Amino acid sequence: MAATTATAAVLSSLSFLSPNPSVSFLFPKSTKPFFLSGSFPSLSLSLARPQPKASDIDTAFFDDLDPEEEVVFDPPTPPEGFTPPPAFDDGPDETEDEIAAAYEELYGPAYSGISVLGNDVFVMDSKVKKTSAFGKVKKDKVRDGFEERVVQVRRVTKVVKGGKQLHFRAVVVVGDKQGQVGVGVGKAKEVIGAVQKSAVNARRNIVTIPMTKYLTFPHRSEGDYGAATVMLRPAAPGTGVIAGGAVRIVLEMAGVENALGKQLGSKNALNNARATVVAVQKMKQFREVAQERGIPMEELWK
Amino acid sequence: MARRYWNINLEEMLEAGVHFGHGTRKWNPRMAPYISAKRKGIHITNLTRTARFLSEACDLLFDAASKRKQFLIVGTKNKAADSVARAAIRARCHYVNKKWLGGMLTNWPTTETRLHKFRDLRTEQNTGGLNRLPKRDAAMLKRQLSRLQTYLGGIKYMTRLPDIVIIVDQQEEYTALRECITLGIPTICLIDTNCDPDLADISIPANDDAIASIRLILNKLVVAICEGRSSYIRNP
Repeated sequence: MAATTATAAVLSSLSFLSPNPSVSFLFPKSTKPFFLSGSFPSLSLSLARPQPKASDIDTAFFDDLDPEEEVVFDPPTPPEGFTPPPAFDDGPDETEDEIAAAYEELYGPAYSGISVLGNDVFVMDSKVKKTSAFGKVKKDKVRDGFEERVVQVRRVTKVVKGGKQLHFRAVVVVGDKQGQVGVGVGKAKEVIGAVQKSAVNARRNIVTIPMTKYLTFPHRSEGDYGAATVMLRPAAPGTGVIAGGAVRIVLEMAGVENALGKQLGSKNALNNARATVVAVQKMKQFREVAQERGIPMEELWK
Repeated sequence: MARRYWNINLEEMLEAGVHFGHGTRKWNPRMAPYISAKRKGIHITNLTRTARFLSEACDLLFDAASKRKQFLIVGTKNKAADSVARAAIRARCHYVNKKWLGGMLTNWPTTETRLHKFRDLRTEQNTGGLNRLPKRDAAMLKRQLSRLQTYLGGIKYMTRLPDIVIIVDQQEEYTALRECITLGIPTICLIDTNCDPDLADISIPANDDAIASIRLILNKLVVAICEGRSSYIRNP
C-alpha cells in the first residue's frame, strides 16, 4: 500500500514537472519488481537447464509395457504417388559453393571464414567481450539479482618437488532473498579469482526453498552431507535466524527470517552449507503433501 | 506430433542388417525388451520396435526442423565417419566425425575461442596472409589450420548450443552423451545390444557395426530433417 501511494505521489509530481505523458507510464512498472523479482529469476533459471532429478523419472509408461507382447508396426499409408527420396550418397554431387551457400542461408557465415552470399564474415566478433589493454576488466558485479556472501576462504597447499604451491579456496553462498540459494566452491591463486569462480559454481546449483508466508520452514528436517549433519526447525515470527556459521549464512541468503538450526556433526563449513541445502530440499509444502496424498490440508494440521 | 509416412520397410532393414546385435556375452540386460531372439551367439533386435522408434524419431526431427532448431550429428567410428559427414552436409546440419573433444558442449566458451581462431586462420589463408610470413611460421599455422579443420570442420557454422543431438554409437560417444544429459539437450541415439537405452531420450535399437545399417537410419533421419525444413519454407 505504501508503494502505491508513493507511486501516486511520484506520478502527480511528475505530471506537474514534465508535460511528457509517456514518462509517467514508466513508473508503475518500475515499482513492480519488488514483488515480481522473485518469480523472474526462477523462471529463467528453470528454463535454462532443467536439472534431472531422481524424482522426475516417470516410469509409469513401463507399467503397461509387456516385453513379451507382439508389437505391430503399422505406419500410416503412403501418400499418393510417393517416391522414396534419394539417399544422401546417391544424390547429385553438390559443389562446395552450393553447400556453403546453403549453410550460410540457414546459419549466417558464423565461423567459416568465407561468405558466399555477401554477409559480413566477422559477424561473430560482437559476441566476444572486449578485453581492455589497461587495467582490470570491469565485470558487472550485480548480475541477475543474486547476492553473494563468502562463507570461508582458506589457503590450501599442494606440495610438489619444488616446494609448496599455494591456492585459495573460497566457499560462497549465492542467493536472492526470495527463496533461492546456491552453494559453490572455487579455487584459484588469488582470493578474488577464487571468490568469482565459486560464485559461478554456486549459480549453477541453485535450489528453491519452500517457505511459509511468515518466512520460515513448513516443518523440521535434518540433512547430512559427508560427516556434517544439520537440523533445521521452523520458528515463530520475530525469532530471527538462530544458527551458527555456514548454516546461518545459507538461511539468510535464502530470505528465511525465522528459523532454528544446529550443526550436529562435523563443523566443516562447506559440508555444513551443503547439508543445509540437502535438508531444505527434503522439505515439502503442505499443499504438495495434501495433493500427493489426496487429502485436504486440514487433515495435516491435526 | 502428427505421424507421417517415412518409408520404413522392414525388408529394407533386414537387407541392411539392422537387426543384428552384438555377441551374446556383451549384452546389456536393459536391452531385454528390444531383443527378440538369439541366433549363433548373436542377439537379434526386434525390428518392429526399431521401426516404431525410428518413425517417432523422424516425427520429432520433422517438427523440430519446421521450428528451425539446430541439429548436431555425432559419429566418430572410422566406419561411420564418412557417411556421417555426407549425411549432415545433405541435411545442412552440424556434425562431428573425428574425435569428440571433451567439453565441446559443456565448455562451449572455450570451443568458441577455438572457432574464432579457426575463422581467423581461414580468412588469413584466403587473403594470402600466410605467404607473407616466414616458412616456419606459415607451416605452423597451416598445421594448426588442418588440425582445426579435422576436429571443428563440421561445427564451423554453429553459433550456439544445438537443440537436438543425434549420436551414432552410444558406447563410442559416451562422453558426448553425458555432456548432452548434463546440459539437458534431447538426444536421439542408435543403440546396440550392449548399450543402455535409458540414457538417451529416443533410443533406436539398431546395428551400429554395419555401414549399411548406419546409412539406412541416417538416411531416414536426414530425409525427415529436409522435409521439416522445406515445410518451414513453405509456411513459416
